[in-house]
Amino acid sequence: MLLNELKVGDQAKIIRIADDVFRTKLLEMGIMQGTPVTLMLRAPFNGPLAFSYENTLLSIRYEDAHSILVEKMNMHQ
Amino acid sequence: MKIALFGNPNTGKSTIFNLLTGLRQKIGNFPGVTVDKKSGVLQLDGAEHELIDVPGVYSIYPSNKEEKVVYKLLVSSPPQQRPDLGIMVADASNLARSLFFFSQLIDCGLPLVLVINMNDIAEKKGIRIDTKALQQAFSNTPIVFMNARVGLGKDRLLAAIKRQIAEGKHEQIKVSNSLKNLDDLLGQEEEATQRQAYIGKTLQHTVSVTKTSVRKNNLDRWLTHPISGYLIFSAILFIIFQFVFSFAAYPMDAIESGFGWLTQWIKSVLADGPLSALLCDGIIPGISGVLVFIPQIGILFFFIALLEDSGYLARAVFLMDRLVRPFGLNGRSVVPLLSSMACAIPGVMATRGIPNYKERLITIFVAPLMSCSARIPVFTLLIGLVIPKMKLFGIIHLQGLVLFGLYVLGIVSALFIAWIMHLLLKQEKRSYYLMEIPEFKRPLWRNIFLTVFEKIKVFTTEAGGIILAISIVLWALASYGPSEQRNAAIKSLKETSAYKSKTLAEKEGLKNAVLLENSYIGIVGKGIEPLIKPIGYDWKIGIALITSFAAREVFVGSLSTIYASGDNDNEFNLHNKLKNQKNPDGSFVFSLRTGISLMVFYVYAMQCLSTLAVVKRETKSWKWPMLQLVAFGAMAYLGGWICYHVF
Repeated sequence: MLLNELKVGDQAKIIRIADDVFRTKLLEMGIMQGTPVTLMLRAPFNGPLAFSYENTLLSIRYEDAHSILVEKMNMHQ
Repeated sequence: MKIALFGNPNTGKSTIFNLLTGLRQKIGNFPGVTVDKKSGVLQLDGAEHELIDVPGVYSIYPSNKEEKVVYKLLVSSPPQQRPDLGIMVADASNLARSLFFFSQLIDCGLPLVLVINMNDIAEKKGIRIDTKALQQAFSNTPIVFMNARVGLGKDRLLAAIKRQIAEGKHEQIKVSNSLKNLDDLLGQEEEATQRQAYIGKTLQHTVSVTKTSVRKNNLDRWLTHPISGYLIFSAILFIIFQFVFSFAAYPMDAIESGFGWLTQWIKSVLADGPLSALLCDGIIPGISGVLVFIPQIGILFFFIALLEDSGYLARAVFLMDRLVRPFGLNGRSVVPLLSSMACAIPGVMATRGIPNYKERLITIFVAPLMSCSARIPVFTLLIGLVIPKMKLFGIIHLQGLVLFGLYVLGIVSALFIAWIMHLLLKQEKRSYYLMEIPEFKRPLWRNIFLTVFEKIKVFTTEAGGIILAISIVLWALASYGPSEQRNAAIKSLKETSAYKSKTLAEKEGLKNAVLLENSYIGIVGKGIEPLIKPIGYDWKIGIALITSFAAREVFVGSLSTIYASGDNDNEFNLHNKLKNQKNPDGSFVFSLRTGISLMVFYVYAMQCLSTLAVVKRETKSWKWPMLQLVAFGAMAYLGGWICYHVF
């Protein structure tokens, strides 16, 4: 599924980031294949969303989140 | 020695910069680019070093125009412009991410000091950093632990800087073979992969996590909720505006009356003449006209800095981004645009936080369309003149409704122009909105005070000069004219029987009106009458339009002079005088259609030289303020024309 399809509180692992430039930018920040993320906030009207990884809460736009493929993790895993 | 301060965003870099330099900061330019360069003086054992506050980034490769300066500073500028020493500020809770940029700095061959900031917070989260292991990994770089917000570790940092100034050792390792070109995306991705692998290996035995802390988001969910989020944001803005309007008025009045007192005093000691006139009517009001903005700038930036430093601003940006995006704006445009409803000057200055240049430019461009407080005296005068005091449906005041409509017209026009610019302006590269939402912090008063101080300083030193110069020119044009013409006009005035029967004060008023009419500005005002006739204005209004270029509220004072209402302070007097003015054909000058045309004119016209000066300062070019002057002038004329012909 895509990152923008997650619900608040869902945990997921990054599988693939389709957009080249975006992938490099996120990689520089330490977000890459296998990074676990938790969706924390969604702005109204399909506005930006914020996910946490490591100790950071990072917000990206809904459309950009569309290029991030994730795998939802079971809460107890 | 040139020392550069590097770091990711939100690592406390600015706090450390403020701690090291205090008030000794200045704003300059990075060579060749239009990005502000903040630097300060760092004093060490009597020697002075230049400390440059480099924009916070995650990587040397830029993701927007402003971040390009980092690459430029380190890689593509001539060697003598590059820093001799770098201080890298890392967030202890996010060491891995900081080490990415740090490893790039190492590869630049720069001697470095590594600051691990906010270790107390990291330890609370269960993150422990093995100092020894980390020092072993970077043996040539002094590593300093700090808690900059409480000033802890400053001495250790200074000692480390001294050591590196003396030794200048840089790391021997190279993480990646070479830094890539800016357009070599594939190379950059490869390099990033390589660096991440290196960092993972380095930190494996350096950072240990003893407990898993889960970040709570309860408060954030309320702050970004579709209902409570907007309500809280509106409430905060409401409070800020209340403060700006109620508190700024006192110091503004104090500044104006202080300078008024100074003028009186100079007039009493200096003989009447050109020098006294230049001082009392040209220079002093000019300086007063610059300083009078300081309270508004100070109060607005106090709140903006408070929102920023506490962490709330990031939530507001997150919440508002979607609403303004269709207009080519960024979530960060919202606070500057709303601030412009108090005054466009701090509004334009507050756009500094918008990372994308195109979005920032659009925000600056449309900010003057938001109705500012200087328009209020113009609007209230005109509404009182031409809009009848009546109620619609028994409850709605028509006058209030018109005022509201003028504000709405300003906002709608700003969004419309933003949208047009969004379509016209080219984006150099796809932009990404990647924003960290920091944890809430208790604001640090020193940071807030220094922000307010910096904004006031930039305004007075960089925009103040232009404002002062132009306002003196405007004053000279309004108080001087061809002397023969003026003398003749005064002479013929004195001969009229109406004049002779007047009291002394009334005579003075009539004389002033004739003098303004025959000044250079008066001549221009008369000259443009054919141009403004189609939108319903006579030459007297024309003169007021030109003089009010200095500041919109001057319109009221100029009308008062030109119609010789005698008593400037008595609005009632002016109101009645204007109401009864008749055109040569017997119709009233301030008819409904002329009044509405004028109000719409003032919604659009770029009648504020201070804003133009600030836009020039922020965009570093006269191109944008000139475009505003022409485009908004054309819109004002067209809007006025339409209103004059519709009503």
